[in-house]
Amino acid sequence: MGVWFGWSRSPRRSFRALAFGIMLAAMAGWAAGAVAEEPPTIAGAADLQFALTDIAAAFKAETGLDVKLAFGSSGNFARQIRQGAPFEMYLSADENYVLDLGKDGLTRDDGALYAVGRIVIIVPHGSPLEADGTFEDLRAALKDGRVQKFAIANPEHAPYGRRAEETLRHAGLWEAIEDRLVLGENVSQAAQFATSGSTQGGIIAYSLALSPKVSALGRFELIPAEWHEPLRQRMVLLENAGATAERFFAFLQEPAARAIMRQYGFVLPGEES
Amino acid sequence: MGSRDGLAGGSAEVCCGLSVRLAQDTPIPLAAAFACAPGEMLALVGPSGSGKSTILRTIAGLYRPKNGSVGVDGEAWFDSEAGVWVPAHRRRAGLVFQSYALFPHLTALDNVTAALGHLSRAERRARAGQLLELVHLAGLEGRRPAELSGGQQQRVAVARALGREPKVLLLDEPFSAVDKATRQKLYRELAAMRQRLSMPVVLVTHDLDEALMLADRLSLLHHGRTLQDGSPLQVMQQPATVEAARLVGQRNLFEAIVLEHQAPPGFTLLRWCGRILESERNPIYQVGASVSWMIPSSHLVLHRRDRPSRGEHENPVPGIITECLALGETTSCVLAVDGRAELSLAFSVPSHVAARNRLAVGERATVSLLASGIHLMPPDDTPRPVG
Amino acid sequence: MDWTALRLSLELGFLTVLLLLPIGIWVGRRLAYQDFRGKGLAEALVALPLVLPPTVLGYYLLVAFGAGSPVGQVWQSLFGRPLVFTFEGLLVASVIFNLPFAIQPMQRGFEAIPREVREAAACCGLAPWQALLRIELPLAWPGILTAMVLSFAHTLGEFGIVLMVGGSIPGETKTIAIAIYDRVQAFDDVAAAQMAALLLALSLATIALTYGLSRRVGRRLG
Repeated sequence: MGVWFGWSRSPRRSFRALAFGIMLAAMAGWAAGAVAEEPPTIAGAADLQFALTDIAAAFKAETGLDVKLAFGSSGNFARQIRQGAPFEMYLSADENYVLDLGKDGLTRDDGALYAVGRIVIIVPHGSPLEADGTFEDLRAALKDGRVQKFAIANPEHAPYGRRAEETLRHAGLWEAIEDRLVLGENVSQAAQFATSGSTQGGIIAYSLALSPKVSALGRFELIPAEWHEPLRQRMVLLENAGATAERFFAFLQEPAARAIMRQYGFVLPGEES
Repeated sequence: MGSRDGLAGGSAEVCCGLSVRLAQDTPIPLAAAFACAPGEMLALVGPSGSGKSTILRTIAGLYRPKNGSVGVDGEAWFDSEAGVWVPAHRRRAGLVFQSYALFPHLTALDNVTAALGHLSRAERRARAGQLLELVHLAGLEGRRPAELSGGQQQRVAVARALGREPKVLLLDEPFSAVDKATRQKLYRELAAMRQRLSMPVVLVTHDLDEALMLADRLSLLHHGRTLQDGSPLQVMQQPATVEAARLVGQRNLFEAIVLEHQAPPGFTLLRWCGRILESERNPIYQVGASVSWMIPSSHLVLHRRDRPSRGEHENPVPGIITECLALGETTSCVLAVDGRAELSLAFSVPSHVAARNRLAVGERATVSLLASGIHLMPPDDTPRPVG
Repeated sequence: MDWTALRLSLELGFLTVLLLLPIGIWVGRRLAYQDFRGKGLAEALVALPLVLPPTVLGYYLLVAFGAGSPVGQVWQSLFGRPLVFTFEGLLVASVIFNLPFAIQPMQRGFEAIPREVREAAACCGLAPWQALLRIELPLAWPGILTAMVLSFAHTLGEFGIVLMVGGSIPGETKTIAIAIYDRVQAFDDVAAAQMAALLLALSLATIALTYGLSRRVGRRLG
């Protein structure tokens, strides 16, 4: 009994080495196996939450191909791509991110402009604020204390947040409102905060506000586009893009996809009014 | 050596029994040396903390001291100079732990089977059953330790230790956790079993009476040091030093001066308390030198009140009773010699004798110190009245 | 209901537990049985993920295996994929941040075995690995099972580290916890509620199981 497998004099050491070896082999084989043909992962700016989902469904209907969508702030995605995240395509809300990645050789080319975005002020039902795109009501509300919390996306890495800041500065309201701001990690989260009722309102993407799920929660109004840098949204294929990603990239520039973008309030390249 | 049954394991071996020699300063001081022949039972006796358990664990391979050697039947299990250390699971030492240490999740049968790895699968169950029968636990094989009494658990532990067909059997205070009645029973069973055991057996205990009852030899330990080695009676009645005498519970310890060694078959005369004592002839000690001496309570004879002393030669010593405790059938008394409280003789008599002689605190009495009981030892450092 | 995310979470949980089983037994046993210099430090290191904010842990993991780090680059050259933003990276992170959940209960389980019982096993002639299989594991198994259950549940619920090290890549690192976050941001309350309820039920079951098991420890050795 004592010499079961004929282990060496230090069976414990042999056992450990064997167990470790098995673990290592398993992990290696497993990592290798995971490189099968999978749908490409597309990184999309948060304002595309609803629009891109609809476009992907249309893509599937037409080609039968699947894509995996991930949404987040444009800045966050740019960082992740630099760290080697396995996205095959990136739709940014700010073309500078794309161009910077291109300079660093992480993309195929400089990509293509796919839309110009707009921002709106939104207030949930029951809020003491009005959906006033000129900010006059906001100005008054700041003075009389009607607004305690106001939601925007984080200007550090969300383009829509940066634009929101620009417009507030333009209206001379930034200093007054700064310490009452609730920052969303991306514009989707900002929309969440703005419509949840725990804030009195916020500045979010037009494309989000147009979605039935969001528009049901409050009232919104466009903010003049001249008050901020334009939201030139650029998309690009990344280094490891496969065939499906390439087709999707092309699909986005076709009429069907453009129609959906128009539905969500995007201004399409070549159609600026 | 008597008949051996299957427990002997194997043909006649080159028998040298167990020999142990250990030396270490820290963390546990050890300076022990003793040997135990096959079939012999050696009792390791000493107060708590004297290192007895450590020594047992060293023999079993559970503790490794810095220096020393442990050898069994010519095989070295531990030799610090040669760098030999056989791990516990490769030694054939059967250890019965003080707390029995049975495997709580296994039945009694499986507990014993665990030690039978050297047998084939088919033989194990049968053998385990045999061993449990040997310790009078037939019928209880299926029980878990939690379902067994203390005495029964102890027997499973013994069966398990024996199952290993050990070259040495080690018992670590096996009777300390059982009640007196069970203990008496277990003593008898152990004594009976011993006749069939052909290996050295080492029993650790702090109970001298137990050692006296069961062991062939006794090794007295204190602070890890072997003080004396010999038969139990020898060590108890003829301790080598005053320290040993105190450890074995002798209360009558005094100092005296050697006066004279009479020619054989005479006595050695001692001066003590202003009187002359006759003790067994022991010319080792020089005339005029101080010695320590002791006398066991068993060698003190009370002079009967109703019969005057006929001038027996046996060292009569009068005094006043300062203590008289009736402890069941025996009465334990202390006599202040010449009325001096600092010189006290402890003795015991059957209670009816105490009653008949009207022994009570404050009464006068005389005892005789039997010469054969007076045992001389080298003088002690602690100051004691010489008299 | 994001089934892919659920499957991913379950896979992550099971694999983490599988990897932590030998690690936990080995380390837990050592810490339980041996007293050595620096043991206090070792125990503190093991307990560290318990008190560190997940983002601190996530940050250091990114530094350690990110694309710029030596480990990350070796991995990339070996397997062609980065360690971060992949399931494998999540698994590594998961094993690390679950160390205290795995090791501590196992350590308690082994500590509960009286030393003399282990010594008796040696005196019975059982070699160390035999003693482990036949005596120690059966006695310590409630602690081991508790460790595995806790690690599994904790992995299912981990958010911050998963997000930092894994991103939120569907089918790869988007676990169910992240999926809930994602669905809330997408204003999809129905899906979020479903998944949250599922996780709640799983967590309750875990706690009940753990408490039940810890009662068995006492009875087993009693």
